[in-house]
Amino acid sequence: MSVRELFRRRLGKESVSPRASLQDDLMKHLARREFMHFIPSRFNIYYLGAVAAAGITAGLLIFSSPRTDRQKTDNNKAVSSDTVEINVFDIQATLPIVVREDNVTGKRITDVEKAGKERSALSHTGTKEARDTGLVIEAAVTGVVDSMKSKGLFVPSRPGGMKLQDSYMNGTALFELSVTKGCAPLRIHFTNNAGSVDSCRWTFGDGGYSDEINPDWIYDVDGEYRVTLKVFNSDGYHASSSARVTVFPKPEARFEISPQEAVIPDDRIRFMNYSSGAVHYRWDFGDGDTSILFEPVHKYKDYNNYDVSLVAYSEWGCADSLTVHNAFSDSKYFIEFPNAFIPNTGGSSGGLYSSKSDEVAQVFHPVYSGVTEYQLKIFSKLGVLIFESNDINTGWDGYYKGQLCNAGVYIWKVRGSFINGEPFVSMGDVTLLRSP
Amino acid sequence: MMRDRQIIDGCAKHDRKAQQELFRQYSRFLLGVCLRYATDKAEAEDILQESFLKIYFNIKEYSGTGSFQGWLRKVAVNTAITHYHKNLKYRYHVDIDEYVSEETGVSSFEEDLFTSEELYMVLSELPSGYRMVFNLYAVEGYKHKEIAEMLGIDTNTSKSQYSRAKAALREKLTRLGRIKKSYGADEQ
Repeated sequence: MSVRELFRRRLGKESVSPRASLQDDLMKHLARREFMHFIPSRFNIYYLGAVAAAGITAGLLIFSSPRTDRQKTDNNKAVSSDTVEINVFDIQATLPIVVREDNVTGKRITDVEKAGKERSALSHTGTKEARDTGLVIEAAVTGVVDSMKSKGLFVPSRPGGMKLQDSYMNGTALFELSVTKGCAPLRIHFTNNAGSVDSCRWTFGDGGYSDEINPDWIYDVDGEYRVTLKVFNSDGYHASSSARVTVFPKPEARFEISPQEAVIPDDRIRFMNYSSGAVHYRWDFGDGDTSILFEPVHKYKDYNNYDVSLVAYSEWGCADSLTVHNAFSDSKYFIEFPNAFIPNTGGSSGGLYSSKSDEVAQVFHPVYSGVTEYQLKIFSKLGVLIFESNDINTGWDGYYKGQLCNAGVYIWKVRGSFINGEPFVSMGDVTLLRSP
Repeated sequence: MMRDRQIIDGCAKHDRKAQQELFRQYSRFLLGVCLRYATDKAEAEDILQESFLKIYFNIKEYSGTGSFQGWLRKVAVNTAITHYHKNLKYRYHVDIDEYVSEETGVSSFEEDLFTSEELYMVLSELPSGYRMVFNLYAVEGYKHKEIAEMLGIDTNTSKSQYSRAKAALREKLTRLGRIKKSYGADEQ
């Protein structure tokens, strides 16, 4: 059986089992590619774009109306439904001072009494609305009415006997947060709006606490936290309110460059992505080109020490970046010569070569990478210099003084340097073949 | 087991089940094809994976006439060619030992003398250009003119590379056959 028949019969329909993990890998690749295509039945980048656009529009709508306006509206609602509630707010807002003004409080006590029944329902609404704005506030007012009734004055009988918990201090919470959600590590600045109080106690929900008036706190670990501020004055009054903070996990950007000793600019560089917790990527290859592919392949045009960076984004928009400086400083430059060639018998070509002339190996020249300086000399076995070139693009075509040289062995010697400054010197022999 | 038609329709709708079924039924066959074009199994698996992605996204182009398996094979072969072009570096630089390989080998072999692994190994040792031409001509059955177009080379180059590939294979197989025989003799 001939070679051709042998291979056709034996390998034409041969089956080979792929490694077990290949199917999973393929499905992952497939999911990624499908994500980049528009396929109606699948969630893809176009849908994501639509969702993002919708999200941004909604966000703009919400945030374009200032927060305080919204809160004022909430407050106005309270006014229209129950005038008494407003008074209670006033008391709280100016807590330390108002208490001692007898005529004012006197009037207010009556109002509070009247409103007693409706309070729980109203508080409930208050909580719900507060939740929508990202703040969770316990709005139940306990002990206020009792205390005021019994004393006739707005003074509690024992420290802590009066517990004021409400979101609305003249339309604002006891405190404000610089942000309520963000990526770990999340730094939040808390601003205390409680006015003149003697002391305060912040608990941040992750085990941390502070007695500062306007503290900063950093959440290192992702999760949902409840921040509570309690304010006290010397009379023992205290009020508290809380807010919820959401800290998103931080993705991790990681990648590797393949091949490790890549030759710039000859090699196609593959970037292996080992990031975790991320869904979008942005690569900067350092030469002005970028990519958003998961694992891009890039070809550099010039030699340089490029800084390659990857930014990985999580589904919540959290980012992590990794930059590899001088990513290709390990580049392996080389120069190598073939050990035979067959000159064109039709006449000297001047030593210029192309992939066409290489098809039949007509010109003796090196394959190389990153060569800047170059000098090639070729000697006959008798030591006669028969060829010399300082241009790497000019090889030897096998001619000497217009005459085709004899078949046989010739000696070559090359010296020069690579773009990273490293010099090279090398010598060897080459067999000049004559076409049969 | 799903029928081809169900698989094709399912894949056209990007149905995950159908895609997995297609892989289950045809990956071994297609890897057998890819391995002939690759230098090692890892490269063959790369080509296989790329082929499947092409198949999944272009399955609508399968006309429905002609063998489905044949169509799959064609996609894999084309992917292998693309892969070859992508990784092409100094493709005409062939070691002198390969170039002047004399016709020393015997020209006829028994069908069962070698295992498939051995045949794949011998193929993988060829210079990639030779391997492409040999596979396309001898196994796939393309004409030199078609091969020349596919690989972007001259028809004569295709012919000469084929005959050199054949000679190289013959020599390698002869050597391998001799080694196998001497081992066999030792065992007895």
